[in-house]
Amino acid sequence: MARTVTITVDGATIQTAEGSSVLDAALEAGICIPNLCHMPSVSPIGACRVCIVEVVDDGRRKMTASCTLGARDGMVVEAHSETVLRARRHIVELIVAEAPNSRAVQDLAARVGVTRSRYPMRDKHCVLCGRCVRVCDEVWQSKSLGFVGRGGDRHVALPFDKRPDLCKRCNSCVEVCPMTITPCPGPMAVPGICGLCESQTSMVENIPDTCVMCELGRGFQCARWQLRGLLAPA
Amino acid sequence: MELSNVDTILENRGAEPFDIIEVLQDLQGLHGYLPEELLCRVSESFAVPLIEVFRLASFYRAFSLKPRGRHLVTVCLGTACHVRGAPRMLDEVVAQLDVEPGETTEDRAFTLETVNCLGACALGPIVVIDGEYHGDMSPGKLRALLGAVRDGDQAVVASV
Ligand code: SF4
Ligand code: FES
Ligand code: FES
Repeated sequence: MARTVTITVDGATIQTAEGSSVLDAALEAGICIPNLCHMPSVSPIGACRVCIVEVVDDGRRKMTASCTLGARDGMVVEAHSETVLRARRHIVELIVAEAPNSRAVQDLAARVGVTRSRYPMRDKHCVLCGRCVRVCDEVWQSKSLGFVGRGGDRHVALPFDKRPDLCKRCNSCVEVCPMTITPCPGPMAVPGICGLCESQTSMVENIPDTCVMCELGRGFQCARWQLRGLLAPA
Repeated sequence: MELSNVDTILENRGAEPFDIIEVLQDLQGLHGYLPEELLCRVSESFAVPLIEVFRLASFYRAFSLKPRGRHLVTVCLGTACHVRGAPRMLDEVVAQLDVEPGETTEDRAFTLETVNCLGACALGPIVVIDGEYHGDMSPGKLRALLGAVRDGDQAVVASV
C-alpha cells in the first residue's frame, strides 16, 4: 500500500497516496483546480499550465503546474491566491488567442472568468495539449502520431502526413482533443469569447475553489469529470 | 535508393535507440537529405515507431526532409550576427539566388537555410557555404563568394 501523505490545499487538509499529483488529490477532494491537458489515465506533461498553483514553503512561494507536482507530506498549496488567479487568467487568455473557435476553450475561459483576450487571435485549431499524442502512445501503445518540429513550428502530425500501420483506427486522438467537442450553438462574439455561458460564470466569484461539477468542466473535459467516469473514457 | 549503403551504415552504428541520431547524420551526409523510405528503414531496423524517427529528423536543423541543392548556403541569424547585419546578408542571398530560406533553387544548385547561432559569434555576421565558414561578411563580399560558387558549379555541370 502506498504511504498516505497529508497536504493542505487552499487551507483544506487532505490526505492522498504518496506519489499522486497535487491536482488529482485536490480534484478528488472536491477542490476545483481548472485543467486542460491533464487526463487521469495517462502521464501528465504540464503542457497547458492552466492548473498552476503556488507552493508555500517557509514563507517562500513558488508557482508551478499542479498536475506534474507530486504531493509530499506537509506540502502547503494555494490554488486560488490572487497571484495564481491572475496568472491563470493570463494563461487562458493565451489559449483563447490560440484557438478561439474551440468549445472547450470557450468553456475553460468562462470557468476561470476570462471574458476577453488581449492577444491577437491566431486561430490555430490546436493548443498543443498533447492529449492525442499521449492517448495514442500510453493507452493504445501505438505511437502513430507525435509532436513534430520545434519552437513556433512545433505541431502534432503523422509521420510524412500518412497514417502509419501502427494506427489502430481507434479514433481516440480525435475524441480526447479539446478542439473537437461539438461547439455550442451560440454565436461566437467578437473578439473571441462567446459569453453565452455568462450565467454560469457567477461561480467564478462566489465559489472559485469548490468543485460543483460544473457544466463548463464537462465542456473542456475537466479531469474531475473524467475521474468520476462521467465522460467517455479516454 | 542504394539500400546497401544504408545497411552498411546501420551495421556500423549501434542498435540502441540513442544511436539513431548518428545513423541519421550518416544518411544526411550521404544523400543530402532524409528520404521517406530511408526513415522507414531506420524505424524498422531500430524497432522504434516511425513517428519517433520523424520527430528527430524534423527537430534538428542539421537534417532535411526535402532534397537539398548541390550547394548549401546557411546564413546565421543569431543575436550577435543579427546586430552585426545578418538580415542584410540574408536579403543579399535571397536577391542573388531568388529563393526563400528553407528552399532550393529551381536548377537545384543552391539551398538557402538560416541558423540561430553557430557558436562563433565573434566572427559575425557569418555565412556558411558548403560547410566553410565565412566570417565578417558584407553584402559585397557575399555577392562575390556566391558568384564564385555559381561559376564553379556551372563548370562542373557543363563538364558532365
Ligand atoms: S468540474 Fe468545474 S468546478 Fe469541478 S473541478 Fe472541474 S472546472 Fe472546477
Ligand atoms: S499543465 Fe496541468 S493540466 Fe495542463
Ligand atoms: S550569432 Fe551567429 S554565430 Fe552566434
